Amino acid sequence: MPDLIDGSENITVHGIFNWILLLAIFSIITVIGNYIGYKHPITDSLIGMFILSLLTLAGVWMERYLPFNISSIIYISVMGIILAFPGMPTSEFVSYYVSKIELLSIVTVFLAYVGIGMGKSWNEFKALGLRAIIVTVLVIASTYLGAAVVAHIVLVMTGVPV
Amino acid sequence: MEWITIPDKDPNAQLEHIYREKTDKRILKRNPWRDYRLHITVLILVVIAELIGTITIPIAKDVEITIMPLIYTIILGLVFYLAKPIKWIQRKQARIAEGAMMLFIGVLIAKLAVSSGQSISLIFDMGPALILQELGHLATILVLPIALLLGFKKEAIGMTNSIGREPNVAVVVDKYGFNSPESRGVFAIFIIGTVIGTIFISFLVTFSLSFLPLHPYAFAMASGVGSASMNAAAIGPTLAAFPGMETQIEAFAGFSNLLSFCVGIYIVIFVALPLTEKVYDLLEPKIGRKSIMPKKEDE
Repeated sequence: MPDLIDGSENITVHGIFNWILLLAIFSIITVIGNYIGYKHPITDSLIGMFILSLLTLAGVWMERYLPFNISSIIYISVMGIILAFPGMPTSEFVSYYVSKIELLSIVTVFLAYVGIGMGKSWNEFKALGLRAIIVTVLVIASTYLGAAVVAHIVLVMTGVPV
Repeated sequence: MEWITIPDKDPNAQLEHIYREKTDKRILKRNPWRDYRLHITVLILVVIAELIGTITIPIAKDVEITIMPLIYTIILGLVFYLAKPIKWIQRKQARIAEGAMMLFIGVLIAKLAVSSGQSISLIFDMGPALILQELGHLATILVLPIALLLGFKKEAIGMTNSIGREPNVAVVVDKYGFNSPESRGVFAIFIIGTVIGTIFISFLVTFSLSFLPLHPYAFAMASGVGSASMNAAAIGPTLAAFPGMETQIEAFAGFSNLLSFCVGIYIVIFVALPLTEKVYDLLEPKIGRKSIMPKKEDE
């Protein structure tokens, strides 16, 4: 696993502008994809992406600078849920503009970066052999299907209509 | 899920910050605009993918396969890196793409959180299903006998206790040590999952939607497998299969992913790993094969 822990360079934190710049780049690409794929108005989508980027920025900042050992994902989730909570003064505004960004537009851009990034593991992947690939595929399938079947049984038992 | 906090059992455990530091190292030190060609390449990939749009292939009556733009971008991205048709996507750019990706997970999570917030009362109503389906992830242990039959030994414990993403890698390494067979097993799952997991799960979900008569919410909840990219790839076909239920599906998928993230790791530590070891001790003498792994402990 060379890449999991390689390098020992120190982090020089003049970086918040780099976060902002990266999020701006990501937002622009997402808004363009969102416009081509779903024809949502560009201004509304830009405001939606601005809200999501702000949440992300706040989350990653809090993870690194608040004295708690909590992941940014938790901060972002909690803030997002509170802002959109029905009854909050922000709820209508946030829900309206964020709904202009299709989840799939975000996912499509996100997975393009994933695709380029994962190519790096290709050589290690090739070295692992068919047997490990079989086990991995079965593990992923069983984790997904296990959760789906349990969820279905509980939903049916608690009488949730389809 | 690429960032996680591991409970503080061991004061010198540094693993929990590996991912954060990796991200910071890659994207904070470098002005991202210096890699503008990487981002322009992504833009071009996205435009191509969105222009092609969703393709539906009917394979039988009432059964169809949906191929979505997200599949094109991930495969094109991989091909762009491997085939190197353009010279500016090199290893360095791949590292930056990976670092940037860890920041962009936040945007994805934020969108799912807003959907969850809008539907918070529905989430409370479905609480039992949401929580219990986390235990469904224990089904990975069913793969242990197959791993043994394929000739894996203690590697199988690392391979089948969970889906083997970053937090699980950290837990296994923390428990068994970096050079243990268990850690080799979880590393193998991690690498293979990184390369084929996202593509595989989107086809798995497409097939499951066609062939399994499960509740739409069950599919939504199951997509929170504990990896942001696999979660993203699993939601796509689910959204397409149940038009008009977007907000609910996003809410359940997002919340279930959040649960996998907060609760799932404790299920792995306190239930899945001990259970995998028990099953291993039980089955290994009966069906274990000659080890296929080379005998060396230092890699």
